Amino acid sequence: MSTIARVKSLPVEGLKKALWVASIAAAVLLVAGPVYMLFKYSISDSTSINTGGAPIPLWPYHPTFRCFTYLFSDSQFFGVITNSFVIAACTVGMSMLLGVPAAYVLGRFRVPGRRLLLLGLISVRLFPDIASVIPITEFFIRFKLQNTYTGVILAHTLLALPYVIFIGMSAFEAIPDDLEQQARVMGANGFSVFFRILLPLSIPGLVAAAIYTFLLSWDEFIFAYFILGLGKISTLTLFLKQKLAFSPPQNLLAAISVLLSLPVIVFSLMLQKYMTAGITTGSVK
Amino acid sequence: MSEAWQKVKRFKIHEVWPLLPAAVYLVGFLVIVGAYLVGLSLSFEKNGVTVFPTLRTVAAVVSNTEFRHALLDTALFVIVGTPLELAVGLFLALVLYQQFRFRNFVRSLFLVPLAVPALVTATLLFILFDYPGGHVNFLLTGKYAFFPAILHAPVNWRGSEVFALGISMIGKVWRDMPISMLILLSGLNAIDPELFDAARTMGAGLRTRIWRVVLPLMIPSMSAVILLRSIEMWKEFIFPFILAGKYPLLGTLIESMYNDWGNSNGASAVAAILVLCIVVTTLLFLSIMEFLRRKLVRT
Repeated sequence: MSTIARVKSLPVEGLKKALWVASIAAAVLLVAGPVYMLFKYSISDSTSINTGGAPIPLWPYHPTFRCFTYLFSDSQFFGVITNSFVIAACTVGMSMLLGVPAAYVLGRFRVPGRRLLLLGLISVRLFPDIASVIPITEFFIRFKLQNTYTGVILAHTLLALPYVIFIGMSAFEAIPDDLEQQARVMGANGFSVFFRILLPLSIPGLVAAAIYTFLLSWDEFIFAYFILGLGKISTLTLFLKQKLAFSPPQNLLAAISVLLSLPVIVFSLMLQKYMTAGITTGSVK
Repeated sequence: MSEAWQKVKRFKIHEVWPLLPAAVYLVGFLVIVGAYLVGLSLSFEKNGVTVFPTLRTVAAVVSNTEFRHALLDTALFVIVGTPLELAVGLFLALVLYQQFRFRNFVRSLFLVPLAVPALVTATLLFILFDYPGGHVNFLLTGKYAFFPAILHAPVNWRGSEVFALGISMIGKVWRDMPISMLILLSGLNAIDPELFDAARTMGAGLRTRIWRVVLPLMIPSMSAVILLRSIEMWKEFIFPFILAGKYPLLGTLIESMYNDWGNSNGASAVAAILVLCIVVTTLLFLSIMEFLRRKLVRT
């Protein structure tokens, strides 16, 4: 806080002030401009897109939600949304089932070689997605998991699990030892301590991890694309890619994009605290 | 072995078992990824017969002109894109470092690009940079009253190698801005204002304070951004896949070799080379930083 006050107290002349306002405006435009454009396209009517040589208006001539109503009345699109939802929900279930117990152990016990263990657990994620997707697809082909829900769910669980373990671990770590000690003194065994004390107290962190996992699976493209191809089972991201290939009306593309990103934007902003903690942890020492 | 076992035992193995399923899952996939990547790269298939181990696949990939071109393009993508990420992140971080009325709101706003799925950002750029009638073409040919004409004819952005990869880079940088920004902002916030004051008391002007006080203290967070972003640039896939399909980077080359040519061996070899590029860049960067640190500490 004091830093900020001091910077402000520097002599600011009119020119500097104008430069400063301009840079805020530029930064806001840089970030918000594209988001606005996406929204604008999604509510554009066809005359605002096919303008016959006239410049595309910055606000549609006749704003309309027709693209959205069209999508929701399309049974194929409905199936695609359902697929994405089912895959994301199953990924959450599986990641939590595997990740929460692991997070509990890593957060509550002084496991020997903890750092090395953590490195071992995340090292599969150190491979670029585009590099690890080939071996995993080949493996899934061999075990008949390509083009199946199970295959994508297993892959998405692999992507999400390290995050669940890390977020969950810090949630468990934050609970004071005294609470656990007292419960044990009063005769609670390991299971009761876990289910009655530790789990309820770590719920906020675990919910964050679950939402994060859901979003990760919801907007995941690379693994879904390799494992499902453009075959029978389609997800939202694959649907969008498929549409792109046939150059459909731009307002329709934008409407699909909005539906794909809206949940991610809303929940990400709600989970800001966890998102930013994850990014800055360990990167600045 | 026995000593390690003793240690584990003292930490009550019966309480540590819940870790096992996740560990088996992650390490199992690590083994699968490693084994398949190496196995496929070192196999060569001809007339339905698979030879292993052989370097023929790797040799075929390395001598392939398309691969060489992709490797060069990817290296350029990293070399140009990484400083750009640093510059844009620093700009946003400096804006947020000031105190102003809607600071918290603007901070949340600046996180939005990260929340927009990469595929959506790529789709948006696909629309905006459309030819001949995209927003960008209309803007640059002076069709809007508020902007001067820079081009006299629309440009086919996605049809040119430089522009297609350039738009991909813009998309990548735009989406990842918040990450660089947050790391740099926490670096800025970690600077003790006392130092700034002390420098001013001793008569240092604003420029000296920035170059001699702020910048050296920002080196850890800036090198974190450079390292993390250069890795991300190497492995980028979605933006070039959507926007520069005809001009492959290593990531998109892996995809086309695998899906279009059905060459899983070649794709794995490229993937292995990509991993190698990342490892080499990381080691190179770390050793340069170590060299600079030693040099600076001595003088």
